[in-house]
Amino acid sequence: MSANSGAVAPVASSQVPSDPAAHPVRPARRGRLRASHDVKAVLIGGSLLALLIGIGAWQVEGFASANNVRSILLLASFLGLVALGQTAVALVGTLDLSIPFVIGAANILLAWLFATSLPPVLAILLVASLGTLVGLINGVLGFRLQGQSLIVTLGVGFAVVGGAQIFTSLGSEFSGTVFSEVPDWFSNIAAINGTTFGLPIPPVILIWAIVTAGTVFLVSRTRRGRELYAIGGNRTAAARLSISEWQTWLGVHALSGTMAALTGMLLLGFSGGGFVGVGDPYLFTTVAAVVIGGTSLLGGSGGYGATVIGVLVLQVLTSLLVGFGLGFAAQQAVFGLLILPMVALYARAPSVRSQI
Amino acid sequence: MSSSRVAVDAAPARRDGSGAVAKLRRLRTEYARLGVPLALVVALLAIAAWRVPQLFTVVGLAGAILVAAPLMLATMAITPIAMAGRGGVDLSIGPAVGFINVTIVTWLVSAGIEHPGLVFVYAMLAGVLWQLMVGAAIVFVRVSPIIVTLAGFMILQGLNLVILPRPGGLAPDWLSDWGYGTTLFGPVLAVLVGAFLFWYAFTRTALFTHLKLMGSDERTAFACGVDVTRVRLLAHLIGGVFIGLAAICQTALIGSGDPTQGNQLTLQAITALVLGGTALSGGRGGALGSVLGATAMYLIFVVLSSFNFGAISGFMTQMSYGLILVAALLLSLLGTRPGRDARVAA
Repeated sequence: MSANSGAVAPVASSQVPSDPAAHPVRPARRGRLRASHDVKAVLIGGSLLALLIGIGAWQVEGFASANNVRSILLLASFLGLVALGQTAVALVGTLDLSIPFVIGAANILLAWLFATSLPPVLAILLVASLGTLVGLINGVLGFRLQGQSLIVTLGVGFAVVGGAQIFTSLGSEFSGTVFSEVPDWFSNIAAINGTTFGLPIPPVILIWAIVTAGTVFLVSRTRRGRELYAIGGNRTAAARLSISEWQTWLGVHALSGTMAALTGMLLLGFSGGGFVGVGDPYLFTTVAAVVIGGTSLLGGSGGYGATVIGVLVLQVLTSLLVGFGLGFAAQQAVFGLLILPMVALYARAPSVRSQI
Repeated sequence: MSSSRVAVDAAPARRDGSGAVAKLRRLRTEYARLGVPLALVVALLAIAAWRVPQLFTVVGLAGAILVAAPLMLATMAITPIAMAGRGGVDLSIGPAVGFINVTIVTWLVSAGIEHPGLVFVYAMLAGVLWQLMVGAAIVFVRVSPIIVTLAGFMILQGLNLVILPRPGGLAPDWLSDWGYGTTLFGPVLAVLVGAFLFWYAFTRTALFTHLKLMGSDERTAFACGVDVTRVRLLAHLIGGVFIGLAAICQTALIGSGDPTQGNQLTLQAITALVLGGTALSGGRGGALGSVLGATAMYLIFVVLSSFNFGAISGFMTQMSYGLILVAALLLSLLGTRPGRDARVAA
């Protein structure tokens, strides 16, 4: 294991995808730089989180109450699950902008399927695999375009949500909104009053915790996980190590599509009614969570553990802004203002002067 | 080694523009870029002539110009920014147009500022200022353009809703009058022609050549002594002028303020840009292609509305815009050699 990470780490920290001969790699120094980047990310994210919680507990009444903490964690688990895909995609240096549309499409599609005679479990599996399929399409179409692949995902997203709406509104007069019965066991997973083995904790929070632990373990301890960083860091070097960029590229996009579909379905359990616009906030919040956590959007550095901190920061901040009486529009503007300085901390491109 | 060849080629072509071979080669590459959008527009015009003959009357054409103008100008606005390279497609274009639209209707009208000259100056200044802020964040903070404009999208989208929580308000009278669109040679067409002349003058400058060089290879441009910081900021500044004009035409079209139009306009403008043959990887493109792309988008909308899809017609439009964007991007791959344009950091 140590030999493996030793080989990958120096590659991963080089963020300039160019001729490797022009940039002689200095293993020891690069390795130290990478470690310091991760420590910096956790320190900044952690102290931001502590600061926000401090302000909340001090200024907003009922901020630290069990109810508020539960609602923060519940909303954070939706964002956290979908941000897993965005993090994986960001690690190879692109973004998935189809996420909000896949969430919306999965949401109304599952609601529509619940109204048919299909068993609920099959319906959920079907929608999840459709999400995987959309992710694969994103990956296949965007591979050759690389830097512009995020525009491909935007186009695919629009096509998917348009298609899902056409499909679910055929023969219905309520276009865009679908009414159906959500099974009790399914809404229990994601509803605010859901219980796990009698405890007043919605199961989705536990699911998120398990997914987080599993992801962090798999990414740091498996070959596939390390390959993600190698490709994000330096494609040419990764190719020389016989790492398949194509497989990894498809994999992260498929993961992102699947997680978006899963989140879309969980949101149906949360709200109880299908609504296509349910995913809209997630376009920017997933990117913001990834960025605030400290994953470089240039690829190759950061990770899901960092994103989890970013998700918590965002959700606590949202709760704080709501406590201060700010509406959704103003929250969005604040998030936008927050993204720039955070990216500036982690992912500044090198000056053109230093690239020649 | 392709990078050094670009530099060597670009210099003589500029100095020796009258050389017949050089000129012919330039024209050929120019037409290759415009071939797809031109063919698409012609095909769509043929379908429109069959499905929607009323489009080809004076009133129909005047209406078409009125409706298509904001998208045309918005696409022209993001053209120089995309040409500047670094994968810099401006996602904030929709909310930026929306911001100017909303502020004209609220701030300017309530302050009693309705003089056409002042409104024009305000719109263009606001557009230029916004783009200079975006450009400065890209150049000096060195954050990748897509993130800056994504953040810009969020900031402006939120701000627009704070300024004007729901569609409403009234545009200045003279601007609303533009929106009747009963004459063919109306003020909106004049704005379009003016914008195009401005673009044409821009293409005659050394700045334009520098922009193309920087877009295709920033390191080479820098090594050849091009002031890349200045060129990138000026590309944003020119984009800002077009944003102002787009916002004026948008306000004339709807006659009021609408804070929620951002998403749609951004996606449409990017699609029109890609359809028009401007490379998102930078270095290639132009306003003529962008206007053709925007025209194609408008015609697609017109042709689709001529079929009776009933309640799902909005979804049909949404789906086809998405599919066309993907198809246009894949088509743009045909003109590039693999490995050369593909390596652009997002």
